[in-house]
Amino acid sequence: MSAMGNNRLLLVDDETDFRAPLKKRLEKRGFVVFEAGSGDECQMLLGNEPVDVVVSDVKMPGKNGIEVLEWIKENHGKTEVILLTGHASAQDGVEGIKKGAFDYLTKPVEFEHLVQKIGQAIDKKKREAEKKQEAEFKARMEQQMVATERLASLGTLSTGIAHEIDNPLAIIKECAEYMKLLLNKQELATMPRKPDFENAIGKIETAIERAKRITHQLLGFVRKSETFFSETDLKELVAETVEFAAKDAENKRIKIFQDTGHANAVIWSDPYAIRQVIFNLLTNAIAAIGSDGTIKISIKDTESRVMLCVEDTGEGIPKENMEKIFEPFFTTKPPGVGTGLGLYVTSGIVNRLGGRIDISSRVGQGSNFQVMLPRSIEACADMGDNKNICFDILNEIKGDPTK
Amino acid sequence: MIRIPAKVLIVDDEKDFVEMFSLRLTETGERVFTANSGQKCLEKLAQENIDVVVLDIKMPGMDGIETLKEIKKRYPIVEVILLTGHGAIETAVDGMKLGAYDYLLKPADSKEMAKKLEGARKRKDEHEDRIRKAEQKALLRRGGNI
Repeated sequence: MSAMGNNRLLLVDDETDFRAPLKKRLEKRGFVVFEAGSGDECQMLLGNEPVDVVVSDVKMPGKNGIEVLEWIKENHGKTEVILLTGHASAQDGVEGIKKGAFDYLTKPVEFEHLVQKIGQAIDKKKREAEKKQEAEFKARMEQQMVATERLASLGTLSTGIAHEIDNPLAIIKECAEYMKLLLNKQELATMPRKPDFENAIGKIETAIERAKRITHQLLGFVRKSETFFSETDLKELVAETVEFAAKDAENKRIKIFQDTGHANAVIWSDPYAIRQVIFNLLTNAIAAIGSDGTIKISIKDTESRVMLCVEDTGEGIPKENMEKIFEPFFTTKPPGVGTGLGLYVTSGIVNRLGGRIDISSRVGQGSNFQVMLPRSIEACADMGDNKNICFDILNEIKGDPTK
Repeated sequence: MIRIPAKVLIVDDEKDFVEMFSLRLTETGERVFTANSGQKCLEKLAQENIDVVVLDIKMPGMDGIETLKEIKKRYPIVEVILLTGHGAIETAVDGMKLGAYDYLLKPADSKEMAKKLEGARKRKDEHEDRIRKAEQKALLRRGGNI
């Protein structure tokens, strides 16, 4: 029974003479031991000091052990309970197990036996915590996979639509251009209400430009064959992009800090695509702040990956928007200002480059976008398959020895 | 200065687009012909001495690239400007390798279109000019030798 250190126990017994020496002996074995003289005291203590295992006598004045057990299972489900019963009342122990006790021991208790039981109870608790963690992680992964698949099909659909819209858009544009041309003819120089027509045509043209911006942005990252892999220095790209956005940021009194220090940030990737990713994230950060704030761009490296972080002191992302921010056309900006494609395109690019994006955000405090990129494309086999990426991450987190 | 109109052939299966585009070009002083398919385009080229073809890449039946190949085979000095959707820039690049003068993304900007039309026509004029001069030289040389 090793590694008992820091495991917390609570002894509940109305007899101090029994409790005190047991506490001492258990403490010698490395447990942190609390004691309670009654069920009520036990409840009070557990409220302040959660423990791993409660060892409780069954026969006590006031609340008996079974009642204590029921209360613990209801209020501290993760805490294991070992009951101590009188020699003649094994019945109590059986009832206790039915109600969720880990086990029972009959008094007088053999010390080594008790220590062994406590160890087993702690093991069970740990296993259960692990199981729960794993289930949660799996559920999260599955959710993420569903989201990825949904995004992919949504993307295919919307790029298809964008493509189809370009044609009628071209017709509308020709019509507007033609009318404009006619209005400028000598023969129409004195046409009544000419400015009204010109105004309306101007509006049509603006709207066409807006629609064009959407379709072009949407189709922009579909051009797979235009990916050129080469040696890419993230530091250089960050410096370049920051310079590009500096003026805009300065006007809004936003300070941009670069913390790219000692990281080895040279990777084998597509510099143009990555520049767009940095630019999009930076633009987003500036938009999230509005005015007066700071943005920190940092690079951290591990052997096979490089992480690029863009941290802002902006408005943050409310929980209900978290799932939607990568969807095409999702925007919180007024119509005509944002296309709702920036992050959609960004995540599309990052996926294509075999990386992933993590976000942490707190409303009113700011957001942190972390882009994880592989050092080289070999570092992420099967990059086309999101499921595989998910499982790779899963294995990595679980520390799968086969990886 | 009187500008000699360019003879432009617009080829697109979108009839409304062809109509409006040709109306506008005619209004700006070009001589415009239209066709709604690759096949019709080749027929028109056989009848008229066209300077520039504005050719949509995505058409049912004979598509823009096939049409382009055929145009370049039969009328190598006719200039071709390709029209393409944003998702198919690679195709436009392929087209330029096959001899197209340039490409434009739909919906195309009218100023850009005017610039490219002008450029294409100029290139064809120059090309024809060089052919004429070469023919003259050949004639002179033959004359001198005899």
